[in-house]
Amino acid sequence: MGEFKVHRVRFFEYMPSPIRAMAFNSRTDRLAVARGDGAVEIFNFADNYFQEKVIPGQDSRAVEALCWVGQRLFSAGLNGEITEYDLENLRPKYTVMAYGGPAWTLSMSTECFLCQVGCEDGTVKMFEILEERIQFQRNHDRQKGRIISLSWHPSGTHIAAGMMGMIRIFETETGSPANKEVVVWSVAFLSDHTVISGDSAGKVQVWDGFTGTLIKTHLITKWDVLALSDQSSLVAGTSEGTVTQFQFLPLIVGQQDKEWVRTRTFKNHSHDVRALAHTETAVVSGGMDTQLVVQPLLDRVEKNTQESALRKIAFPHRSLVCCAKKSGLLLFQFPEHLELWRLGESDGHGKPGDSLPVRKKPEKLIHLKRKGEDHICCSALSPCGGWLAYTTVSSVRLYRLQYNNNSISIKKLPKLPKELCSAHQLCFSSDSSKLFASSKHSSVIVVALGQSECKYLHTLKPKSGYGTTEQPVHLLFVSEDSKWLAAANTGCEIHIYNLNKLKLHCTVPVYSSCPTAIAIHPVTSNLVTVHANQQIFEYSLAQKEYTEWSRKLQKQGLHNLWLERDTPITHISFNPNNQAHIILHDMFMLCIIDQSLPLPDRKTLLYNQMTLRSVPESERLRHSHAFKICKNFQHLLCVSTLEDQALVVVERPLLDIMSQLPAPVRQKKFAT
Amino acid sequence: MAKDQRGKTTTSPSKKTDTEKQTEDTTMVFESSDDEAPEEVTFDASRTEALRSMKQALDTARREKELLKEKRRKRQELFQEQKKIKLLSDDVLEEMDSASSKKQKQSEAAEEQRQDEGENGKKKKKKSRKMEHSRNLKGNYRVATVKVVGALASSQQQAAEDFIQSRLYGAGSCRTTNNELLSLQNKTGRNKGAAVQFVKKDWACKQKAKAEKLKKRWIHKQHIPSC
Repeated sequence: MGEFKVHRVRFFEYMPSPIRAMAFNSRTDRLAVARGDGAVEIFNFADNYFQEKVIPGQDSRAVEALCWVGQRLFSAGLNGEITEYDLENLRPKYTVMAYGGPAWTLSMSTECFLCQVGCEDGTVKMFEILEERIQFQRNHDRQKGRIISLSWHPSGTHIAAGMMGMIRIFETETGSPANKEVVVWSVAFLSDHTVISGDSAGKVQVWDGFTGTLIKTHLITKWDVLALSDQSSLVAGTSEGTVTQFQFLPLIVGQQDKEWVRTRTFKNHSHDVRALAHTETAVVSGGMDTQLVVQPLLDRVEKNTQESALRKIAFPHRSLVCCAKKSGLLLFQFPEHLELWRLGESDGHGKPGDSLPVRKKPEKLIHLKRKGEDHICCSALSPCGGWLAYTTVSSVRLYRLQYNNNSISIKKLPKLPKELCSAHQLCFSSDSSKLFASSKHSSVIVVALGQSECKYLHTLKPKSGYGTTEQPVHLLFVSEDSKWLAAANTGCEIHIYNLNKLKLHCTVPVYSSCPTAIAIHPVTSNLVTVHANQQIFEYSLAQKEYTEWSRKLQKQGLHNLWLERDTPITHISFNPNNQAHIILHDMFMLCIIDQSLPLPDRKTLLYNQMTLRSVPESERLRHSHAFKICKNFQHLLCVSTLEDQALVVVERPLLDIMSQLPAPVRQKKFAT
Repeated sequence: MAKDQRGKTTTSPSKKTDTEKQTEDTTMVFESSDDEAPEEVTFDASRTEALRSMKQALDTARREKELLKEKRRKRQELFQEQKKIKLLSDDVLEEMDSASSKKQKQSEAAEEQRQDEGENGKKKKKKSRKMEHSRNLKGNYRVATVKVVGALASSQQQAAEDFIQSRLYGAGSCRTTNNELLSLQNKTGRNKGAAVQFVKKDWACKQKAKAEKLKKRWIHKQHIPSC
């Protein structure tokens, strides 16, 4: 077993953006999450909560509300615009100005295909949802204050609007005797004409929608109640980070009189909860602590199964770090800029577990700000470090880097081929002579890189006629000998192209779970894929079939503890000195799979590194199995190998992220 | 006020006229003898007189104020016009100077922008492209299309974001720091630990940097005689 020098990188100051709104589509089992920087992410709840798609944000797009209408996704924001998103090309399809000032809330009625927008100027604007666009219909009467929250009655005949200090139901009038200016952050209109409101005084109030009278008040927190979601039950999210559940139950068992009773409280967040959604079995919450939490409701799932476990999704399910293998450079992707760093150096030698002295500190070479308003979608660095590229929804930019002794110069390539107008994924070939960019309909554009110019070569297209080639490509990998290119899309398809002949070689048999990481072995040219349900496959490109090892793995089945991990593998790399090694990582662990060792069966101890160390060396081989898992480094954003037998491990401890979040509420506890 | 008439009230019939005129007033006393009676100024008359003079005084005051306002306004307008004239003359001078001075200013501004952008990174990054959609017209003028940013919309957006910020994080929102929250967790958790950021990392950073430099110099000095 080889020894590695590990570059432990903690200078990637990655800060995720807080969650502002979310909407669950129960028909497709997708959750759409809007972040504070305007990015919209789609999670597939049926495929192990995999973050399928990410639409990058934009400077002025401050999303306040998200809504699904069938398969279409709409958002409204503080820039006064209503946006429909193109989920196949990962960009906004179009925007419509509401002309009412900032839009605070959005509510859709799927029966009558109408959409309501609550605006800053006090109007509730109605839009009709047509096939290719939405069209303004009319305004409701203008109110005195801004409309912060809206809710449709399920029948579509009434709307409840929460404003500053009162709730108003259109078609009838109601008011609440509030002494100070209370903000009604959210309302929910139930089918029995009950209106439930959450306000800044920390109360969840139940109103009779017909008479406008208050039925019951629940004071659940000292701070604000920011979000409500009602479906199977009612949940309220607060500034404290708690989510309180209410259920419509009779106070005494057996009696008929039902009322809204506070049942459970979950404290899964450290900061304010701004958005809530219901799925059939769980409550999903998100807020200022940037983590998405899925809390299964134990009355709907079986206890002690994987379904009933609490899930926290903190890191993105794609790589934000690009490592240039040959030159020891790292490229960090932020939403609004890129950073290029050179790794530090160390001469020392030591035993496993030692910390080596650093001779030369890592240094930041370039801080590149993106141009325009759009956020960066994807970035790439060539292995030699001479080329840098990034894409946004509207453009692709390519830069040439030159290193002279201690200085570095960067030059933008002014004219790019017109085919290279927008891409979702970028990849450089290992000799830095070609750039591959994924484009519409899962096609890949090949561009040749000259000394200071680039020329369009070819477009690689998958076979048309497949149902899901409309889905965007989210993974792209070029083999080290530049013979093969693998492209995976969110429709679970993986296409292999032969780069010498510049045509499609084959399509890997579609597996039901989406691939989360793909890589081609430099020596054996086998494609290794890991999927959202933690399955691993190895496919031989030459023979166009699964390898012997892969079949053995499938037959034996993966260990339970491996399958129960709740974060996906986001990067696969290989060991230049040992071709039997596959290096994988997720957020909490780094694993080296040794294909020459036997596979563990269900009863074997999976995390056996500690016990192996205690066994004398001659005995170790007998007890080893293929999965060597190391949990020394946390929390992992990227693990990659360099040419000189070194590992680069980019960590971003969650504690560091938490210390830079906005202020949480002050909770006075005894003896503190 | 009105002139006080000396006299007493009598009920003699010769004073019929007076008593007739003595309608509602009981406050004022006015009486004079038949012969050489001074002008009879009734209370009503004197009251109206008084009111009129009051009104007149008010009117004059108001008029004066208005006059002053007018004067001020005219003066202000005059100043504005003078200012405009001044600017205009500058403009004209500028145009008359040459197109080269204008271009120089633009290139200077572009240079400034470039310098601004080279802030964090050690070396320059990208070139700024000022005035993307601009055309030259007859050499002296340059027409540039400005992106319609919608200043009103962005200010409203800013106001809305400020509203959220003030409601959630403004006065009276009872917030604490992340450091305190994490430290409390350390204190009350299962594995009790010290406060997060127990050591102030940004303490004496200048001195630390100086010490680092001195150390490097000393190491360098030590190596020279050996190699």
